[in-house]
Amino acid sequence: MALLEVTNLKTHFTTRDGVVRAVDGVSFSVEEGHTLAIVGESGSGKSVTALSLMRLIPDPPGKIIEGSIILRGDDVRKMDDSTVRAMRGDRIAMIFQDPMTSLNPVFRVGFQIGEALRIHKGMTRKEAAARAVEMLELVGIPNPADRARDYPHQFSGGMRQRAMIAMALACDPDILIADEPTTALDVTIQAQILELMIELQQRKGTAIIMITHDLGVVADMADDVMVMYAGKQVEYGSAHDVFYQPRHPYTWGLLDSLPRHDIDEKGTLLPIEGQPPSLIDVPSGCAFHPRCPYAQDRCVKESPELRDITSGHMAACHFAGEDGFVRGEAVPVTGGVE
Amino acid sequence: MSARNRKAGAPFTPAGEPVDAGGHLLKDDRPGAVSIPGAGDIPPGRKTRTLWGDAWTRLRKNKLAIAGLVWVILIITVTLSADLWVPQTFGDPTSTEFDGLLSPSATHPFGTDRIGRDVFARVIYGARVSLAVGVLAVGISVILGLTLGALSGYYGGVLDSLVMRTADIFFAFPYMLFAIALLAILGPGYQNVFIAIGILGWPSIARVFRSSILSVKETEYVDAARAMGASDLRIMLRHVLPNAIAPLIVYSTMSIGGAIITEAALSYLGMGVQAPTPSWGGMLSEAKALMGVAPWLTIWPGFAILTTVLSFVLMGDGMRDALDVKMKD
Amino acid sequence: MVKYLVRRVLQMVPVFLGVTLILFVLRIPGFLPGDPIKLIVGERPLSAELRAQVEKENRLNEPIHEQYVWYVTQALQGDFGNSYQKNRPVAEILGDKFPNTFRLAFAAILVEIVVGILAGIISAVKQYSFWDVLVTLSTSVLVSVPVFWLGLLLQMFFGIKLKQWTGGAMFLPITGMGDPPDLVHLILPAITLASVSTAYVARIMRSQMLEAMGQDYIRTAVAKGLTERAVVFRHAMKNALIPVVTYIGIDLGALMGGAILTESVFSWPGVGRELYLAVLQRDWPVVMGGVLVVVLIVMVVNLLVDISYAVLDPRIRYGGAAE
Repeated sequence: MALLEVTNLKTHFTTRDGVVRAVDGVSFSVEEGHTLAIVGESGSGKSVTALSLMRLIPDPPGKIIEGSIILRGDDVRKMDDSTVRAMRGDRIAMIFQDPMTSLNPVFRVGFQIGEALRIHKGMTRKEAAARAVEMLELVGIPNPADRARDYPHQFSGGMRQRAMIAMALACDPDILIADEPTTALDVTIQAQILELMIELQQRKGTAIIMITHDLGVVADMADDVMVMYAGKQVEYGSAHDVFYQPRHPYTWGLLDSLPRHDIDEKGTLLPIEGQPPSLIDVPSGCAFHPRCPYAQDRCVKESPELRDITSGHMAACHFAGEDGFVRGEAVPVTGGVE
Repeated sequence: MSARNRKAGAPFTPAGEPVDAGGHLLKDDRPGAVSIPGAGDIPPGRKTRTLWGDAWTRLRKNKLAIAGLVWVILIITVTLSADLWVPQTFGDPTSTEFDGLLSPSATHPFGTDRIGRDVFARVIYGARVSLAVGVLAVGISVILGLTLGALSGYYGGVLDSLVMRTADIFFAFPYMLFAIALLAILGPGYQNVFIAIGILGWPSIARVFRSSILSVKETEYVDAARAMGASDLRIMLRHVLPNAIAPLIVYSTMSIGGAIITEAALSYLGMGVQAPTPSWGGMLSEAKALMGVAPWLTIWPGFAILTTVLSFVLMGDGMRDALDVKMKD
Repeated sequence: MVKYLVRRVLQMVPVFLGVTLILFVLRIPGFLPGDPIKLIVGERPLSAELRAQVEKENRLNEPIHEQYVWYVTQALQGDFGNSYQKNRPVAEILGDKFPNTFRLAFAAILVEIVVGILAGIISAVKQYSFWDVLVTLSTSVLVSVPVFWLGLLLQMFFGIKLKQWTGGAMFLPITGMGDPPDLVHLILPAITLASVSTAYVARIMRSQMLEAMGQDYIRTAVAKGLTERAVVFRHAMKNALIPVVTYIGIDLGALMGGAILTESVFSWPGVGRELYLAVLQRDWPVVMGGVLVVVLIVMVVNLLVDISYAVLDPRIRYGGAAE
């Protein structure tokens, strides 16, 4: 039994302009100590998926309308408020994209790290403060005892994200959700933060759900990869399968837009044409068809279901698995219709 | 068993017309758009409008602001047309033709005062003083404030320091005391009241306008205009003023309410509009000693002040929201 | 921080001198209505010698700039000269009145803090609820009510309508409230004086709470597993209070300078009413001395507000002192 099993999760938002199907039927699982990467452009529903796991969706306008989220046998959807609170920060913790705004500017860093310990572990103020210093040391902040008394604005961006990680890991959660944890940071700092996360995962055995738009970020750390588009999974499988035998044209696009040196030597970066669709007015059939170079009539009319292509490697494309429909060999359709 | 082997359960989407993805690229920065975490911006299904058109559409939906507008228009209409019907129906506002201290009745809706004047007629005519003082005082503040703020922000240097220090001095003075002292110098009367209130109001406007100018002055299109030989006045009118106009309108609308209250207060203290000219503040001053026997003398003029000022406040609030102006104070 | 304080204090000097200069212009004979000699000795006819003596006593015969320097020098030592009307030192008169004004100011601030902050929090936490609508509407009404009218209405209601319950005069400070006035007499004037600012405090508190509740750090706090109460009253409120405290502080300075309207309506023996009466009686030394002290109080309180702002907001304490 997996640590976390999510089945047919649907999170919708009711807005003035209509219902936004931000997450529309997503299923995945996370094993103990493993890393799942959820990849997609902004607006693909990956962050809403993460927030749904912690029941952090603002209601109204948002609501989880269907599906189950089973954490070690407990259904998160059915928990009452106090059980959800007891879970947050203790069993599942989360770090966010922008470390500059995610820490409260008027409280000392040490206090903010210790807060979760005081609620979940019943520590006294003093014990929590001491543990906060240890956590800061663990995430590689020099002079942790002094730094714990600093305010967030005295930390650099990278240090703040380290502090966020310290805060998230303080209670030894089963799962750490990291929502674009490096996007707001300098490139050199990004690598440091990723290394830190990998190192801490090995030491503590925390499972990680890594939300990112950048496949490159997760190449070294993900065990599994789930690619999302317009609120749905388009490809899901082990990192090896998704990176080396991608089955969905959207995944190809994501890979082509990465600077890679190991697979192809052409060195050209190919952006995916067009923009992510509106989640109110999702394109008919396959949501990706307006941007897909291989789209045919069927793609306009029929929505492809997520299906096994090879054992444990799933894709939602009508043509996935067909001979010759692989990255680099498939021939773009010029007229759009055969 | 892992969830990976299950069906994702994506519902079948019935075939429809292909949607052009490019049609959804509009970014919605306007207030009111619901933001969804991580979902980016939700493309709106509406067409873009001009700032003013959009503001008016939003203002129209603000019931309180519209109520304020209707009330102000009603008061203006009633008070301007008063000569045609008020004296004939209720009595002349200054003649003492009735018995004193009559309770409100059909013939005297608001009763009569100590010396037998119809209170309703006086309240109606009192609106003239209040509205005139409110508008004229703010007019003076705006003219002074814009001029001094423009000089200060555009030319900077010694002039800037001089104007801003003077503004500081004005802010340091207790407002009512300053107004009373000015009227002690100028003498009472309604012209002097709006002049005094107008003089006291310029520093806030000058500060706001100065900072607008400072922010616009450094922009490239002002450099470009200058390079093309545009005069200072032209740059000010064409490039700076339009950017500062929205906060100015909001601020002025709210200030009219403030000026009406100040006028009433000064008249209440006996420093403003003098008897027998009816003014709301002056009426309250006469009413004070009669609170026990003739409460209507206190209630109605105050109610007139309250509703009129409230109208301007609601209009100002509505315009601030409609124009999306951030007010500092 | 020290550098910033020094600069702030230095900035106060030209403002203070500017105020004295403006005030002094009031004393130039012919500029203001009324001959100062007549104001001092009254309307009775005066012999030339006596006139010269009065002029000399009040230094009215010296060149105007010398009078100014002399006045500022004396004022800085706490000597504002004598009242024209009361034949008492101005400093003594002010010393009598300021304690009453301070009492009223602190009582009003208490109302602002309790009622304003509470209403703002309820309004923000229960956004769009009945209470929110009530608070939003009543703050709009409150800022539109002329304070002197509110004072009259309160007197009418509690002093006359409810006379049997309130004991009438007890709530009507006009009669026999003693000096210093009893605490009961403070209630209605304090509510009146606090009305407008309470509405502003509630509005600022509401918008600041709503803004704070929308910040990323609130999501972090919720994700930590904090209760809604801890999130609202610890994480959001500490941020929201900073501008509110600033507003209340500045208002305290303004209220400590006297409240002409409230004090007049309730015949409260404070500085505001005293200065208003002094203007009416053309008692310029009292006006000048009073305004000078009031301006000083306002400036000092504003400086203290700036300091407390830096204490409350850690971003200011260590970082941008230049702001």
